[in-house]
Amino acid sequence: MNTSNKLATPLLNGLRSMLVKELIHIRRDPTTLFFALLIPAIQLSLFGFAVDFDVRHIRTAVVDMDRSRESREYIARIQNTQYIDIISTLHSPAEAESALMRSDVRAALIIPEDFGRRFGTVRTPQVHVLLDGSDGQVANPARSAFMQQPTQGTGGSAVDVRLNVLFNPDIRTKIYTIPGLVGVILQLVTVSLTAFSLVREREQGTLEQLMVSPVGRLGLMLGKLIPYALLGFVEMSSVIFIARLLFNIQIAGSLALLLAMSIPFIGASLAIGLLISTVAKTQGQAMQMTLLTTLPSILLSGYITPRETLPLPLYWIGNIFPVTSFIQIIRGIMVRGAGIQELFPSLVSLVILMLVLITIATRSFRKSIA
Amino acid sequence: MTHAIELNNLTRKFGDFTAVDNISFSVEKGTIFGFLGPNGSGKSTCIRMLCSVLEPTSGSATVNGFDIVKDPEQVKRSIGYMNQSFSLYRDLSVEENLSFFGGIYGLRGQHLIERMESVVHLMGLQPYMRRPSGQLSGGWKQRLALAAALIHEPDLVFLDEPTAGIDPVARRELWDLLFLLASQGKTLFVTTHYMDEAERCDQIAYIYLSKLMVKGTPSQLKALPEITPEGTRRIAVSTTRPSATLFVLKAQPFTLDATLVEAEIHLLMRAEVSNEEAIASLNGANIQGCRARPIEPSLEDVFVTLTRRLAKQ
Repeated sequence: MNTSNKLATPLLNGLRSMLVKELIHIRRDPTTLFFALLIPAIQLSLFGFAVDFDVRHIRTAVVDMDRSRESREYIARIQNTQYIDIISTLHSPAEAESALMRSDVRAALIIPEDFGRRFGTVRTPQVHVLLDGSDGQVANPARSAFMQQPTQGTGGSAVDVRLNVLFNPDIRTKIYTIPGLVGVILQLVTVSLTAFSLVREREQGTLEQLMVSPVGRLGLMLGKLIPYALLGFVEMSSVIFIARLLFNIQIAGSLALLLAMSIPFIGASLAIGLLISTVAKTQGQAMQMTLLTTLPSILLSGYITPRETLPLPLYWIGNIFPVTSFIQIIRGIMVRGAGIQELFPSLVSLVILMLVLITIATRSFRKSIA
Repeated sequence: MTHAIELNNLTRKFGDFTAVDNISFSVEKGTIFGFLGPNGSGKSTCIRMLCSVLEPTSGSATVNGFDIVKDPEQVKRSIGYMNQSFSLYRDLSVEENLSFFGGIYGLRGQHLIERMESVVHLMGLQPYMRRPSGQLSGGWKQRLALAAALIHEPDLVFLDEPTAGIDPVARRELWDLLFLLASQGKTLFVTTHYMDEAERCDQIAYIYLSKLMVKGTPSQLKALPEITPEGTRRIAVSTTRPSATLFVLKAQPFTLDATLVEAEIHLLMRAEVSNEEAIASLNGANIQGCRARPIEPSLEDVFVTLTRRLAKQ
């Protein structure tokens, strides 16, 4: 008789049957299989393109007050670096500043009237560069792009670049990451709040009891949405308070405006949750789907890497997440002190997104109960 | 007499599968209507259509006079619904659940309070008002579910296996409540797998493989010619050794069907064989002291016979 065998048998008893059973479970559950096999592959191949810290093509405005051959050559040389994309020509430094405030451009190059005349004299020609410090991932490479003088080329003499970083002069990382983080966290939490709430009703059978009652579809949806919107709103306020308390992030603009503009953001996020809950049959599936929205929200929203670096398809995918517009808004208000005029486009896209998502969620809800 | 429910060739398909196949029948007001059939035969699909939650593929039906497709909201307002699994909010108290469902049906203020008092009194829920419904025992959960289904005074209540998984005492009490409701003029549309519950219904419809097979009162169904075909009869054989007796009788050439009910053997046999001959076959197998008497078929006999007949075809 073999004693070691006698001991080993009870421990591993049924292992083989368990293995077979679990493999059958996996094979019979296409959702899990889908999430396990396909999603990581898809996400890596998509987001591999997204994580690009090598920022190029920084959107830049030019105010050329000199209009000389030398100034045009200088602009061409800057453009040739590929780090800088001249996307608009403006007429005054004031116009340049408001373009920065609206986040239309990330940098502005201002060439004074005497730029050309100074060439060949003892006075070094000078340009002013305004940088948007509200996204350090852009501000830092922009700074080095302007400072590294492109010396080769016609008339390639030294130019004195005077840098002026607006909104976050020291380019403190926390100043721009924390507002972004607030958006990402809030979206994640609000999406899961509604997703779980409706799926729980489905699992417990109470949804069926509601369906045979005369409760309206929109009544049901809004009845779910509004309490969680209030919760999200309180959460928003507390997170902003913590940002200020712990990380000393001052709000440059209006807190009231920020809170007001967070309403469509919270609404749109909750609608994504509702959409998930119409598809998910169990809380486990709802969890997986919520996680599925997390990574793209972080990578495509401009929270980590500037949206400028995204390939165009990913740039568009990023637009379907409410946090993308909201990061524009929260950075605009908290860092740049932007007002409603500057942020209006972001607000409009957020409201449209919210309405579209609620409509889709309400419609697909009807199908999911049949 | 007007009908509480009328189905006209009601049909529902899911892809290639026909879950409810061309079913027509009607339910009289103020009766307890038993809707029977094996699992998966299409009962729940049918009920969901009658509750206007699921649209029929073809055919039509009216519930309390309202068309289930054209007036889904009127249908929903006029019916109560009680599910087989407890489907109220477990974290809400008895009182909160009733108040919520009353509110959903548009009851407000004093009227809501009166309705809540009425259903709580009817179901005897007074001691449990503040208890979370998830902590109630099975029977009390079902009473609460029935109370919630009655809060808006529907004339018609659908009860989908209301007694599944509750103990016999609670089951008896729930049926007493159903009789009381029927005596007050409510129509009850009940599904069940229990034959003793089916016996208590005024009318029964039996569906199998998505089709309506029979409809009628329990005694009408038992008297159906195909249940005890010509040339056969049913007897009960009393015995001291039930299992052995069943085994021997099943092996006899005159036996068409035999089953054990309460220590007796219920036998469907050829009519030309007498009771004495049947008993004699047992004596041959050394089983003594058996007695035979003629019996009516039970509802179980009815459904087993009908189902087997159809399965053979």
